[in-house]
Amino acid sequence: MPQPNTSYDAIVIGSGISGGWAAKELCEKGLKTLVLERGRNVEHLKDYPTALLAPWELPHKGATPRALLDANPLISKAAGYGEDTAHFFVKDADHPYEQEKPFDWIRGYQVGGKSLTWGRACQRWSPHEFVAPERLGYGMNWPIGYDDVADWYTHVERFVGVCGAADGLEAMPDGDFLPPFDFNCAELHLRDALRRRYRDRHVVQGRWAQLSEPREIHLQQGRGTCQARNLCMRGCPYGGYFSSVSSTLPWAQKTGNLTIRPDSVVHSILYDEAKGKASGVRVIDAHTQAITEYRARIIFVNASALNSTLILLNSTSRRFPNGLGNDAGVLGRYVAFHNYRASAHGTLDGLEDRYFYGRNPTECILVNFRNLGKQDADFVGGYTTFTGGYRTRGVDAATRLGGTYKDAQAQPGPWGLYMYMQGETVPKYDNHVRLHDTLKDPFGIPRLVTSVGYDDNDEAMIRDWLTQANEMLAAAGCRDVESRDNHQAPGLDIHEMGGCRMGRDPRTSMLNAWNQLHAVPNVFVTDGACMTSTGNQSPSILYMALTARAANHAVEELARQNL
Amino acid sequence: MSDVAKLPPVTRRTALKAGSVVLGGALFTSSALLTACSGERAAPPASTAGISTEDAQLLEEIADAILPTTPASPGARAAGVAPIVALLVNDCYDAPAQRRIRDGLQAFRALCVDRCGGAFTRLSPSERETLLAGVDAEAVKAGDAHWFHLARELSLRAYFSSETGMTQALRYVRVPGRWTGCLPLQPGQPAWG
Repeated sequence: MPQPNTSYDAIVIGSGISGGWAAKELCEKGLKTLVLERGRNVEHLKDYPTALLAPWELPHKGATPRALLDANPLISKAAGYGEDTAHFFVKDADHPYEQEKPFDWIRGYQVGGKSLTWGRACQRWSPHEFVAPERLGYGMNWPIGYDDVADWYTHVERFVGVCGAADGLEAMPDGDFLPPFDFNCAELHLRDALRRRYRDRHVVQGRWAQLSEPREIHLQQGRGTCQARNLCMRGCPYGGYFSSVSSTLPWAQKTGNLTIRPDSVVHSILYDEAKGKASGVRVIDAHTQAITEYRARIIFVNASALNSTLILLNSTSRRFPNGLGNDAGVLGRYVAFHNYRASAHGTLDGLEDRYFYGRNPTECILVNFRNLGKQDADFVGGYTTFTGGYRTRGVDAATRLGGTYKDAQAQPGPWGLYMYMQGETVPKYDNHVRLHDTLKDPFGIPRLVTSVGYDDNDEAMIRDWLTQANEMLAAAGCRDVESRDNHQAPGLDIHEMGGCRMGRDPRTSMLNAWNQLHAVPNVFVTDGACMTSTGNQSPSILYMALTARAANHAVEELARQNL
Repeated sequence: MSDVAKLPPVTRRTALKAGSVVLGGALFTSSALLTACSGERAAPPASTAGISTEDAQLLEEIADAILPTTPASPGARAAGVAPIVALLVNDCYDAPAQRRIRDGLQAFRALCVDRCGGAFTRLSPSERETLLAGVDAEAVKAGDAHWFHLARELSLRAYFSSETGMTQALRYVRVPGRWTGCLPLQPGQPAWG
């Protein structure tokens, strides 16, 4: 039997949204690249078993069976989890971790990772978000600013296909967008009502990785127009939304430079003391537990924020007894997330003679208006608000049973408006993850301990958001407004960030301005682990932009013989 | 129960709660299930806690009285909701809700004999409607714990998630092809499935 090739130019750990981008960029630049994915293989079209099912064709018609819930009390809390998508989420029992404080760690272990089930929101960070923590005194500055990533945002937007309008707003910069989705009539009403009442409340179309009108580059990927089915998380047979599986990975494959190894659990990154560089990775076969070591000149760590941190913590050597590159002792520290606790909705009378066509996979955004460039609230950080109009089913009838009742139930009901928050949180030393001293996972790797919680700032932000949302829905003419704080644990936002943060100073950070470990420059960490602060925008597009930027830097540095 | 469909929709980032289904873009939840499933989950129900085929058939007959055939669309019986009802109760409902339904149906059978002198299936449509209107009035008076609320909820859920309900009472388009945000509602146009 021939030995499998174990030597590559580059290794990418993880095949999710950032790993896919690393693979694409590195392969395009001619590097023989190995992508290691701990989960099973998933291929575009072939492995979307529920993609074409109508609701009544699902075994429980869209309801979730108790057996699935009872076996998976944690992962089943994730947005979009159901019998139609459960195959793209881990099973609770397979992947244990220890919650020192409640933390819902949502994972999707397969080729494509969580890019199959992501929310698809692609707003750019505002220039303010990069500098606000230091300027307003609640955190450390990023080593880069908006100008460093602006062109990379464009680079990524063009390939991904991001729809949105040119709104000219400071809090949410414009990009190279495909045409936006339409507002529905209730959303137009909300936009105009808030425009009349406030100076600073802009309801606009979000930016979405949704092909409203594909360009040549998207057709070349084999992707087509979004069909407005709103079933994205099952995998899209039309390629209407972006995932690693539908886009970057097959693109990288076409170069002939890509090797993907599913079922390959990375144990650690190997460090060569003599050369002062990482030399490869140690991999455990998920089925046979066999250990293989792979070698490469550069290593991209894209295993998702907490798993990338875990791998680095588990990569110990004489030089780095506390984890690879962890001279400062901040690896695993400054973990943050997005605050999703508050939401509100109300009934909107009128517009009964208006309706819509299709199932909209996108939402509107009420752009951040708090602490934008200056402190103007009793908390720090900003919040993005997702919002939209919906039409319910069923109108009241004179009877509670019989033909009149039934036909009334089938009519379009009143309109409503909803809002929910996505708030910035402050990275703190105490909010951390670490390796468990004794408990191991099924592969013999120390279990992750999560110790991440909310703070008073988060509570103050929630109070303000609820006040503002109630006021705005009332200003839009809603009745029966209800708002709530769901008190969900951190992690359920699926926006966990940090653990291996970027920074200028190697004494307080792990990564430099190019996402290289300060102490081991041929290791790049470009997923959520690298985040210095959380901003208030959905983070995936920034991970993709940072990854593309770092990959191109890596190629240049290799050419200069610097790595 | 007409308010169940008036909750906000399942958004991109809303966790689908236990037992909720999406109909016409609106979140359709079971109050019984939410209570049962949001906190501590009870031990898996004993297999005897579910409902029988006969129970499901009777629930279909009740559903058909609540949601009968009209010129607009076929009713719950024509939609064949019995297997859906059985699946929802036996696989998705918790043990107390299963018990409430089963006990309720047993009492209901006795009530039919008592008040109308025979099985529900032998009553005329108007007798059925009158009987159920009485039961519904009792249920409204008795509050949330009454079994008939669950029967109504099951009827609506099963019917509006059936192919008939989704495509003939509502309008489900498998592949819309595009999204158009704001259009006039055509006279008589039903809600989207």
